[in-house]
Amino acid sequence: MSSESSKKRKPKVIRSDGAPAEGKRNRSDTEQEGKYYSEEAEVDLRDPGRDYELYKYTCQELQRLMAEIQDLKSRGGKDVAIEIEERRIQSCVHFMTLKKLNRLAHIRLKKGRDQTHEAKQKVDAYHLQLQNLLYEVMHLQKEITKCLEFKSKHEEIDLVSLEEFYKEAPPDISKAEVTMGDPHQQTLARLDWELEQRKRLAEKYRECLSNKEKILKEIEVKKEYLSSLQPRLNSIMQASLPVQEYLFMPFDQAHKQYETARHLPPPLYVLFVQATAYGQACAHMKSSQPPRQDKTLSVAIEGSVDEAKALFKPPEDSQDDESDSDAEEEQTTRRRPTLGVQLDDKRKEMLKRHPLSVMLDLKCKDDSVLHLTFYYLMNLNIMTVKAKVTTAMELITPISAGDLLSPDSVLSCLYPGDHGKKTPNPANQYQFDKVGILTLSDYVLELGHPYLWVQKLGGLHFPKEQPQQTVIADHSLSASHMETTMKLLKTRVQSRLALHKQFASLEHGIVPVTSDCQYLFPAKVVSRLVKWVTVAHEDYMELHFTKDIVDAGLAGDTNLYYMALIERGTAKLQAAVVLNPGYSSIPPVFQLCLNWKGEKTNSNDDNIRAMEGEVNVCYKELCGPWPSHQLLTNQLQRLCVLLDVYLETESHDDSVEGPKEFPQEKMCLRLFRGPSRMKPFKYNHPQGFFSHR
Amino acid sequence: MERAVPLAVPLGQTEVFQALQRLHMTIFSQSVSPCGKFLAAGNNYGQIAIFSLSSALSSEAKEESKKPVVTFQAHDGPVYSMVSTDRHLLSAGDGEVKAWLWAEMLKKGCKELWRRQPPYRTSLEVPEINALLLVPKENSLILAGGDCQLHTMDLETGTFTRVLRGHTDYIHCLALRERSPEVLSGGEDGAVRLWDLRTAKEVQTIEVYKHECSRPHNGRWIGCLATDSDWMVCGGGPALTLWHLRSSTPTTIFPIRAPQKHVTFYQDLILSAGQGRCVNQWQLSGELKAQVPGSSPGLLSLSLNQQPAAPECKVLTAAGNSCRVDVFTNLGYRAFSLSF
Repeated sequence: MSSESSKKRKPKVIRSDGAPAEGKRNRSDTEQEGKYYSEEAEVDLRDPGRDYELYKYTCQELQRLMAEIQDLKSRGGKDVAIEIEERRIQSCVHFMTLKKLNRLAHIRLKKGRDQTHEAKQKVDAYHLQLQNLLYEVMHLQKEITKCLEFKSKHEEIDLVSLEEFYKEAPPDISKAEVTMGDPHQQTLARLDWELEQRKRLAEKYRECLSNKEKILKEIEVKKEYLSSLQPRLNSIMQASLPVQEYLFMPFDQAHKQYETARHLPPPLYVLFVQATAYGQACAHMKSSQPPRQDKTLSVAIEGSVDEAKALFKPPEDSQDDESDSDAEEEQTTRRRPTLGVQLDDKRKEMLKRHPLSVMLDLKCKDDSVLHLTFYYLMNLNIMTVKAKVTTAMELITPISAGDLLSPDSVLSCLYPGDHGKKTPNPANQYQFDKVGILTLSDYVLELGHPYLWVQKLGGLHFPKEQPQQTVIADHSLSASHMETTMKLLKTRVQSRLALHKQFASLEHGIVPVTSDCQYLFPAKVVSRLVKWVTVAHEDYMELHFTKDIVDAGLAGDTNLYYMALIERGTAKLQAAVVLNPGYSSIPPVFQLCLNWKGEKTNSNDDNIRAMEGEVNVCYKELCGPWPSHQLLTNQLQRLCVLLDVYLETESHDDSVEGPKEFPQEKMCLRLFRGPSRMKPFKYNHPQGFFSHR
Repeated sequence: MERAVPLAVPLGQTEVFQALQRLHMTIFSQSVSPCGKFLAAGNNYGQIAIFSLSSALSSEAKEESKKPVVTFQAHDGPVYSMVSTDRHLLSAGDGEVKAWLWAEMLKKGCKELWRRQPPYRTSLEVPEINALLLVPKENSLILAGGDCQLHTMDLETGTFTRVLRGHTDYIHCLALRERSPEVLSGGEDGAVRLWDLRTAKEVQTIEVYKHECSRPHNGRWIGCLATDSDWMVCGGGPALTLWHLRSSTPTTIFPIRAPQKHVTFYQDLILSAGQGRCVNQWQLSGELKAQVPGSSPGLLSLSLNQQPAAPECKVLTAAGNSCRVDVFTNLGYRAFSLSF
């Protein structure tokens, strides 16, 4: 109780002089410090549990005191007031205690709060630290993975193999004893070696570069020298031109031609080279004569060199082709093409000619010129030719000579059977099938004729028995055919011109026997040619007296057909003539039909047969001087003579009165001979009589 | 019908010449070898071709077996006549007669055994020999032709023994009478003359054109002649006529218009050929028994192969104005043609 009372007192004191004490404190804090009663400190010393007990007790006391006071009041009386007073004082004490306790409780609470706050702050700080650490860990982990994933450049370097490394590298780099066991060191060493080597190579490279530089400079110098040479040479060339011209040595022209010739396709090139060579050889043969400018054979190249050059660039070309064909396809699709249009385009493509062509001018003695233009069909790998004949003088074209000099037929069958209407390349047929070309003959007029000899001149050979994959232009083949072909060509032109001339007179009923053939015939020939006309092949085939010729295969459609009519008095001799394009090496073939006292042909009259034999088989004596271009004329004249003989020697029928229609004027040794009673058809020149063969 | 198939390929110079030569070929004469297996044919170019009948007639005959085994240039002029003895082939045409050994002829490069020329009087033109005739009894050969005479030649010595003169124009044909040594000749002058070989005299002359068989528009010439005992058949310009020799009268005139160039007796038939494609078979009475067409437009010679040595080759061959020799295995049918 005493402690309790002391405690109770202390706050009383503070309270009693609260304000003055404060004032004092303000005046001098240091002075008051020691004296200052700190209730906070008291709290630390007191046990909260006991305070709680005290509080409970005080509350119970108060309740009891209140109850007593009430009790007292309710009883009333005088002495009660003192007792009440007393009790009130006791209650006040208790109230004081309660106040004290309340204060303490407040202080405690505050203290508790402070403590909690402090602890919380600590926790927060720790938490923050933890977060930082975690972040740091994460970062480090990332760094580690990054490092792990790092690719070193050296892995991409292609190193020399291990064995090679140890063999070649100097020991101070390879350090075999260290590196053998340690792959890392090994790799490092190898990289070192690699570096070493590369350095050396770089050194070499630099050397080479400088070398190149040097050479380039040298080239530059030389080029300069050469280019300075060019104008000088040009000036020399220019200066030499008049000399060349004066001496007829067209080197310059030839040079230009050869330049162009480089762009020719192989077959045309072969043709060009061989033809030029042949032309030169011919010129040399005639070198005994004074030099002439008009060579018999001149060769030239025609067409656009640029186009040919464009063809020479294969990759671009193929692309172009593709794009072209694409474009074509697009075009065609745009206009919704029929199949025919597409095929047409394909055909055109297939029959395309090389832009360059070779012109050959073959001059004959009488100044007529055969112009040949050779083309090369690139996709068919064949050559074609177009021919044209120009003559020195203007020709009057007889009606019957229509086809003689036409470009289409003038070169037909230069070699037997070579009519130039079929392609000589067997592979072409398959190409044609694809695009629906039946035969080449429909296109021959436009493209030129693919004669076999043309292929041979171009060095192309297509063996029938063993088809070859690729046909290569062959110089030797061309060379071996050049001379014969040129001679044949010349002969052909001359014989055609000769025929042309003969036809002109034949049409007017004149058989133009030349003076050097006059000895073949008697001076007096009575039978006359009255008609000379062309007939169609079909018409010839249908004649009743030409069957033998047709059956013997001598009436091919490449031949030309004529009909001659020879008359003497009432006798009319029809002669159907087959003119082979190979005239005059192949003779014209005659079939006869005599209208006199009935119709007589070879089937019912042996002598008509003999007459045919005379002109067809014994033609060689009618050839006249070489090259026997007069053969046709001579044959016709011979027919006239034969008809004379036939008519004059015909036995006179005694029963018919009157003189013979044809008195015998020819001198004959005998009228008939042999079992078939031949008439004397053979003419003996100087004596002028007729005898039997 | 066998036809030369028109050739598809156009021809070169030599081919054309050969084709023309074949086209204008006339086969004038034929002769069968003594063995009966080969047939010689001579043409207007002076060539003689030997065909093998046995191989052409055999069952495995090919196209090649119808071509000549060998062809050679025998004469310069046409080979108008040929006959075979038991060892030789005698050929004549251009004034000469040549002998060839059958045994050697099948080899290449055969040379003639001998050649003889009858003594001719003219020199301007060498007369041709149109007919040869063997006279087996006296082993001699009779030649006749352009010089209007018959020459007999002794085959043993090769000398010309007799000359029979009488014809006024050239002689076409000869025929031998089998029993008596008499020879018939027919010529361009229109007369058939009968010669006695023993006396070398003309014993009989028949001037055919003076009888009813004459055809003036065809001429007088006698182109063919055949005889059998007392009978004689001749034709040419005048119509084909059967004559009785002893009475010199025409008994049958055969109704054919075309001049006949060859006639022969065969059994009881007369075979004739001439202008026109056919081989004619006549009864003696003048009836036409058959006309068998051949491949040539005109026929000049017929040959019956009756050699007993080769019975399988018993055929009739006909040749004329073509390069083909038609072979008739029986009389009524042309089996095939041999061709130059």
